[in-house]
Amino acid sequence: MERVVLSRIPPDEKKLVGVRARHGKAAQQFTQAFLKSSIPRMSSDAIEDILLHRAVVLRYTRVKKTRGKKTKAKGLNAKERRELKVFQLKPEHQKYELFLPLHELWKQYVADLCNGLKPESNPQMIQQKLLKADFHGAVLTVVRSKCPSYVGTTGILVQELKHVFKIITKEDRLKTIPKRNSVFSVEMGDFITHIYGSRFELRSSERSAKKFKVKGNIDL
Amino acid sequence: MSPDLGKCSRSLLTCEKSNFLNEQSRHEVHVSRHCFNYKISLLLPECEVLPVRVENVIHNFSSYYLVRDLPVYKFLEEKWLATVVKKGSFYALSCKTRIDEDNVCALLPSGQLILSLDKDTYEHLGLEGRPSLYSHKKVMRYVVSVDLTNKSLVPGTKRYQQVLLCLKERVMLRSDFLLTTCHPGADKDGALHNLLSQYTYEECRPTLHSQTLKNLFCPSLHHSDLRGKGLSCTPNQFLEWLGAVNLNISCDNSAVSFLSTYMCPEPRAPVSQSVLCTVTGLIPPKDVCRLLKELRCYFAEPNFAAWVSLTVHGFVDCPVSWGAAEHGFFKGGENLYNFVCFKNQDYWLYKATGSEDACPP
Repeated sequence: MERVVLSRIPPDEKKLVGVRARHGKAAQQFTQAFLKSSIPRMSSDAIEDILLHRAVVLRYTRVKKTRGKKTKAKGLNAKERRELKVFQLKPEHQKYELFLPLHELWKQYVADLCNGLKPESNPQMIQQKLLKADFHGAVLTVVRSKCPSYVGTTGILVQELKHVFKIITKEDRLKTIPKRNSVFSVEMGDFITHIYGSRFELRSSERSAKKFKVKGNIDL
Repeated sequence: MSPDLGKCSRSLLTCEKSNFLNEQSRHEVHVSRHCFNYKISLLLPECEVLPVRVENVIHNFSSYYLVRDLPVYKFLEEKWLATVVKKGSFYALSCKTRIDEDNVCALLPSGQLILSLDKDTYEHLGLEGRPSLYSHKKVMRYVVSVDLTNKSLVPGTKRYQQVLLCLKERVMLRSDFLLTTCHPGADKDGALHNLLSQYTYEECRPTLHSQTLKNLFCPSLHHSDLRGKGLSCTPNQFLEWLGAVNLNISCDNSAVSFLSTYMCPEPRAPVSQSVLCTVTGLIPPKDVCRLLKELRCYFAEPNFAAWVSLTVHGFVDCPVSWGAAEHGFFKGGENLYNFVCFKNQDYWLYKATGSEDACPP
């Protein structure tokens, strides 16, 4: 850009535009004098400083938007999603080890969320934060359920849907556990919280916006 | 009778008549199926003191153990399974636990472990069970039954590990227990002592209490008339009278008595002396059988008595009554049976249960 500014104007253009080109010292003196007269309050150093940092736009034309007919990029609809099994874990990916990094990530996430999970931190504060938190990657255990065969199931939460948790167990088995009528425990360092599944029947995205009531019946 | 008792919702009484000498007589089966007996009361009319032979049988009743704070999972441990449970004739019942509000546990001689649990414990425990038969719309009690002699419960199997984990780590069920084995063998007793050595326990003997009642009106019974069509009183009347005698309620209908205007049912006869004897403790059915056998021999000696009566009461807070049939408390939790033995070896058997109980077999 600087080269273009400093380059000499061709003589035929000079005639056309009707300017007299100055070069070398004369040009410099002219510029300084011009600047001093237009910005008289600033010292020459300050002016140079500004000039260095500001880009001088010599030509600016707005690119006109071409308003044509745009086809909106459509995603898959529900039927297609179902047929393609987009949200289902393939059997070859149902490995506990595959999800261990996710669990590590989740641990970091919770530690960040709760400012480091210190033993002296307020449990109620942590719970308030956890209500809005994402649980994908947490290790969930069913501690209480109306159906006794769910009790004791432990694993990493892989997918949370509105009514079920999908958990992968250490035996590499994907288990779908309904939230209703079960109580889950989540372990984070020294803290253990319990999730009352019957009160948790929301998608995780909806949960972040939901206001939970303090009172409520916790009986199954 | 107080009007409140009159409103008692349901009670069942079955009566049957048979002869001890009859080969198809099922008296021993009935006795052996009623596992947890709390009290035996014996009424011998026309008798001055308790016969020595009967007293000897009672003194030879097997003793029982009261163990404090025994965890339930101990029954599943290999040592216990091998030494006690698999041998059979081992009875265990949690005591000081109430069937309608606590968790009650019983181990039948067949090796069945029956846990009657409240809703919260059941939900935490994670062992499959079924809702109690005597629950209302909302189920508040569940019955879990685990067969310890089953092949799938051999130590090392997956099922065994699971049951042990449930009882040991998820919910540590523990309570005071009454235990008894009715093997007289000393070696087995030694094994049981070994197993119990880490807990505080005491060996208890069934307590015998006998008294002589004088000038008592007794209903006269005739062995052929079970239903009470003239020759005897009806079964309900007879049982009511027995209860009155056991509780020392005056039955002479004196006009001045404010407490009781109860009267011995017709037909009746005055009896100058009769012996009422009660034994309390955890009494295994085998001992009841021996006592019954001795009572049959009682008529071999000459005496005036037309009949003797043997009443056996089950524990009111026991989860089972006959066999593995579920038992509840509701108002009284009574489950009892009564033998009336006659001179000619005929017997009547009454079996009575309260409202939350299956029909006696």
